[in-house]
Amino acid sequence: MAIVNHEFANEIIQYGAKEFKACFNCGTCTAICNLTEKNANFPRIFIRKGILGQKEEILQSKELWLCYACGDCSVNCPRQAAPGEYMAAMRRYAIAGYEPTGLTKLIFKSNPLSIVITLLLAMVLGFFLFTMKPEMEVARWIFKYLPYEIIHTMGLIIFSFTGLSMVWGMLAMIFKLRKIAPKESKTKKSFFKALSAVIAEMAMMKRYRVCDEEEDSFWLKKPLMMRPWAVHWAIMWGFIGLLIATALDFAFKDPATTYWLPSRLLGTIAGILLVYGASMAIIYRRKKITRTYQQTTLADQMLLFFLWIAGITGFWLEVAVFIDADTIVNHIVFVIHTIISMELVLLFAFSKFAHAIYRPIALFFYNKS
Amino acid sequence: MKEKIGVYICHCGGNISDYVDVEELSKMFLAEENVIISKDVMFACADSNQKAMVNDIKENNLDAIVVASCSPKLHLHTFKNVASRAGINPTNYVQVNIREQCSWPHSDKPKDATLKAAGLIRAGINRVSHSESLDNIEIQVKRAVLVVGAGVAGMKAAIDLARLGNDVYLVEKDYFVGGRIAQSEKLFMSGQKGKDIIAKLFAEVKSYANITLFTGATIEKVTGSLGNFHVDINIKPLYIQSNANPTTLKAAMNDCPITVDDEFSFGFKKRKAIYKNYDEACPDVPVVDVEALRDADEFLAKYASIFDFTQQDAVLSLHAGSVLVSTGFDSYQPKEGEYGYKTVPNVVTLPEFNKLMALSPDKLVFNNKTIKSVAFIYCVGNRQAKGENKYCSRQCCTSAIYTSIQLNENYKNITAYHLFRDIRTYGKQEILYEKSSKQGDIYIRYDEKEPPVVAQGAKAIQIKVKDFLTSKKELEVEADMLVLVTGMVARDDSKLISEKFKIPIGNDKFFNEIHPKLKPVETVIKGVYIGGACQGPKNISESVQSSLSAAAKINALLKGGTVSLDPIIARVNNDLCVWCGKCAEVCEYTAIKEVEEGDKHIARVNEAICTGCGICAPVCKPNAIEIAQYTDMEIESLIDGFMQEVTLTDKETESHEEAENETLKMKEFPQMWKNILQSIDGGKKNIPQIAEEISVDTDIVTYHVMTMNKYNVVMADGMDEKEAYYFYKRKN
Repeated sequence: MAIVNHEFANEIIQYGAKEFKACFNCGTCTAICNLTEKNANFPRIFIRKGILGQKEEILQSKELWLCYACGDCSVNCPRQAAPGEYMAAMRRYAIAGYEPTGLTKLIFKSNPLSIVITLLLAMVLGFFLFTMKPEMEVARWIFKYLPYEIIHTMGLIIFSFTGLSMVWGMLAMIFKLRKIAPKESKTKKSFFKALSAVIAEMAMMKRYRVCDEEEDSFWLKKPLMMRPWAVHWAIMWGFIGLLIATALDFAFKDPATTYWLPSRLLGTIAGILLVYGASMAIIYRRKKITRTYQQTTLADQMLLFFLWIAGITGFWLEVAVFIDADTIVNHIVFVIHTIISMELVLLFAFSKFAHAIYRPIALFFYNKS
Repeated sequence: MKEKIGVYICHCGGNISDYVDVEELSKMFLAEENVIISKDVMFACADSNQKAMVNDIKENNLDAIVVASCSPKLHLHTFKNVASRAGINPTNYVQVNIREQCSWPHSDKPKDATLKAAGLIRAGINRVSHSESLDNIEIQVKRAVLVVGAGVAGMKAAIDLARLGNDVYLVEKDYFVGGRIAQSEKLFMSGQKGKDIIAKLFAEVKSYANITLFTGATIEKVTGSLGNFHVDINIKPLYIQSNANPTTLKAAMNDCPITVDDEFSFGFKKRKAIYKNYDEACPDVPVVDVEALRDADEFLAKYASIFDFTQQDAVLSLHAGSVLVSTGFDSYQPKEGEYGYKTVPNVVTLPEFNKLMALSPDKLVFNNKTIKSVAFIYCVGNRQAKGENKYCSRQCCTSAIYTSIQLNENYKNITAYHLFRDIRTYGKQEILYEKSSKQGDIYIRYDEKEPPVVAQGAKAIQIKVKDFLTSKKELEVEADMLVLVTGMVARDDSKLISEKFKIPIGNDKFFNEIHPKLKPVETVIKGVYIGGACQGPKNISESVQSSLSAAAKINALLKGGTVSLDPIIARVNNDLCVWCGKCAEVCEYTAIKEVEEGDKHIARVNEAICTGCGICAPVCKPNAIEIAQYTDMEIESLIDGFMQEVTLTDKETESHEEAENETLKMKEFPQMWKNILQSIDGGKKNIPQIAEEISVDTDIVTYHVMTMNKYNVVMADGMDEKEAYYFYKRKN
C-alpha cells in the first residue's frame, strides 16, 4: 500500500517540470516514443509516479536514464504537459537524490545559489592553484592572511569531498536498482554480456541515434554531423579524450611542446570534438532550434559554457606554448583554463554531468535484466 | 365500392422485374372488372411516371390507385401526394410491397415470387375497392398552457410561451420558485449564482400579465385531452394574512423563537419556524411552519395580526390546451454505509458539500476540523452495470471539478483527490478539467469492479483505491473530507405525475419521450410535452434547451386555434354498442368514455386522444368498434384477394439467364437513360465523364449504367488510361 503524497509534485516543479501536472494519462507520449518497448508505459507511467508522489519508485527506476530527451513527446502532448522536460527534471531529481550532500539540490533548484556556489568554488580553486606556485608575488600576499596549509588542505578536502560524493551516489543508485531488479529471470544476461552492451552503447549511442531518426523528424533531413546524437557524441568523447590526454601529460610531468606526441595529438583531436560539440549545443539552445532546446536550466547552460571555455582556452594555451609566449595574458588564460577544468571535475557529482556515471549504471541494469 | 381503379407495377430498374414477371402481372390485372388501367413502369417513383399517373387519373376519372413497388416506408407519401394532386382522397391509395416482400427474398424462385406478388397486388386491389375517403379531424384548442414545475426549465418555457401570446399557468409544488437551481450555489461555467438566475427569471415571470404562478400547489386531477385539458390543482395555505404588513412580517421572521433544521441547506444550519428558503427567495412572502409553532403561544399572540390559521387547502380548476411537464430531478441519496456515508464522519454528497462551501466563506471547517484535503469519489449511484441506475448523469464530473477549482480559489492550500471512473467533461467543460489538473488536483482512476474502500483513520479518512492508470497499484489516500459525487435520479413523486398525465416512465424511472432524436420533447400523449431533467439527466443549458423546444412545439400547436389530426382512429357503431366497458378497460390512452345516447349507454371515442392503435376492436363482442382504413370489409376482402387462385401463362422453358441477355423491350427509355445515351453518342465515355456532362451524381449514373449494361443497352469498351473506369458505348 503506497500513500499518495501530493507535495512531491511541487518539488518536481522546482527541478524544471513546470507543466507536468496537466497530464491526463492519455499515453500519447508512450505511443510516440521511439524507445518504448514491450511494457509500453514509458514515459507516461513516470509522470503518474510523480503525480502520486512515489519518490522511492522514481529513484529505483533505470528507465529514467534510457530517455535521451528527443522531445517528440513534448511536441505531441495534447495537454502541453511536456513529458520530455519532466523526464529531464526527474533525472535532475535523481542526481540530487543519489548524492548525499544536498549540494545538487541547491544548484538545480536555485539559480542564484548555483552561481554563488560556482564562483565560491572558483575562488577556492584559484587559491589552491597558488599553493602549487607559492613563490608568486600574489600568492605570498595571500598567504600573509590565510596560511598556506589551510588553503592547500581545504583544496584537498574539496577534491576528496567530490570523489566521495560521486562514489556514494553510484553506490546509492546501484543499491536502489538492485532492490527492484528481478532476482530470477530466464532472460537475465550475464554480467559481462551486460557490461559489453553498456560499453557498446556508450561508444556509439545507438539508442540516441534511434531518437533522431524518428519518421518526419526535424533531424532526419539534417546531416548526421548536425544531429543531437553527433553533438552529444562529440562532447562526450572530446571530454574523455581530453581527460586521458591530461592524465598522460600529468603522468609524464611534461606539458609536451611537440604537437606530434601521441598524448598531444589525442588532446588536439579531442579538443576539436569538444569545442565543436559544445558550440553546436550552445547554438541550438540559443536558437531554440527544437522543442528540446527551448527549456533549459541555468546549471545546464553553465556546464556547456564551461566545457566550451575549457576547450577554447586549451587551444589558446597549446598555441601559446608552441610559440613560447610567456605573457601576462597567457598566464591569465592558463589560470582560467585550470580553474574551469578543475571546476568541471569538482562539479561532476553535483551537476548534469553526473549522468555520465548514472546512465551507464542504468544501462547496465537494463541490459542485465 | 370503387369502379375505376388504376394499377401500376414497378420494375424498380430490374430490382423487381428480374424475378417477378411484372409484364404478365400488369396484363393479368387488366382483366379485373373494376381495373381500368394496369401498367408496368420502369421506375414508378420517377417524376415522369408521377406526371403520367396524374394524367391517367384525370383522363380516366379513376377513383382509387394501387402501386406495387417498394416498401411504403419509402414511397407511401410520394404516391399519396400523387393521389392528392390528381384530386383523389389519399386514403384511396394502397401501396403493395413487391420488392422487399417478393423479388428480394425469393430471388431463387422467380415463379413463386411472381405468384406471391400477384396475390399481394390482388389483395391491394380488393382493399382499395372498399376504401373510403376520410378527411383529417379538426379540433378546437384552448390557447393556454399548464407548466408543471417552476424551476429554470419551467420558468424559461413559461416566459417564452407568454411572450408568444399564450396564457400560462405555472404550477410549483414548493412555496418558492427556482427548484434545484435556487438550492445550488455557483454554477459552472459562468460562475453565476443559482439564486441570482432565479431572481432574474422571477422578475421576468412577474412582468407578464398572462402568466399565473401558483406556489405550494400540486396536481390533483387531470381530465380532457389535446386542446382541452382540465386540471385541478390543490393550493396549500401560507397561513399569512394576504394584507399583512411587510415590516411586521420581517420583524416576525427575526423574532421567531423557534428554530428547526434547515432542510433546504441540508441541515447545515437552522431556520426559523416562519421562514423563506433563503433571504432573496421568490416570491417574497414567508411560509409558516405550523407544526413547529404549535406551542409558541406568546410569539403567536404578539404577531396575531399577520397570521390567519383559518386558511385551508384550495382546489382550483384550470383549462389548458397543452401541458408542459418540467418537474426536474432528485439528487441521488447514498445508502447508509455506501462509501462511509453516515457511518464515517465528514463524508458528504456533492450538493451538500457545495452548500457547506457557500456557508463557509473564509475557512473550511467541518465537525471542528479544518479541512486541508478533500477527496471526491465519482459515479456514486450512477453507471452501475449491475445496479439500479445504469445511466451517466452527464453533469456531475464537471460539477465536481468546478467545485474543486473553487476550493482552490476560496481557501488556501487544500489538496483535492479525484477518484474517478471516466472524466466526462464534454464540450467546453473540458477547459475546467484542464484547469483542475494544472492547479495540482490528483486524479486516480478506479475500476467499477474494485471500488475505493473508505475507513476512518486515526487522523483523517483513509481511502484505499487501486489505480487503474498505474497497473492497479494499491494506493492509500488520506483526506479530511470525502465528497460523494452523486448523480441525478428521477423524482420520487414522478410516478404520481406520470399517473396523472399518463406519461410513460422508462427503466431509468425518468419520463419517456417518443423518439430521442426525432421527437425529443413529445410524449405519446398528444398535447403533453416534457422539458428539462424530468426526462433524464441534463445540465442547466440542456434543460433549458429542451423546455424551450417544447415551448416552441406547444406554441406551434396552439397558435392556429385548431389542430388537424390523422383520421385513422376507432369508430363506434352506436346501433351495435351495448356498453360492456371492455373497450374502455383496454384503452391505454383513456380515449373511450361511456355516454348516454338517447335511451341507452354507449361508448364514445375521443377523437383528440385516440391514436388508432386498434386494441379496442378485437375485445368488442358485438363488433361495434372498427378502425378507419382497417374496417372488417377492407381486411376481409384483402385476405380473400390474397387467397384467390392465380394461374400464370407457362413460361417454364424461358430460363432466367436468357431473359437477362435479351435486349430490353421497352416502349420508351427513362429520361435518365436517354440523357446517358445522348452523352455517350458522341463517342465512348466513362462514368465520371458522363456524370459531369449531364451534371448528375456519379452514384446515380453508375446505377443506371449498370442497369443499362445488364439489359444490353450499353456495353463496356475498354478501360481509361488509369485503368480506373470502363468506357461505355451504345450497343446496337
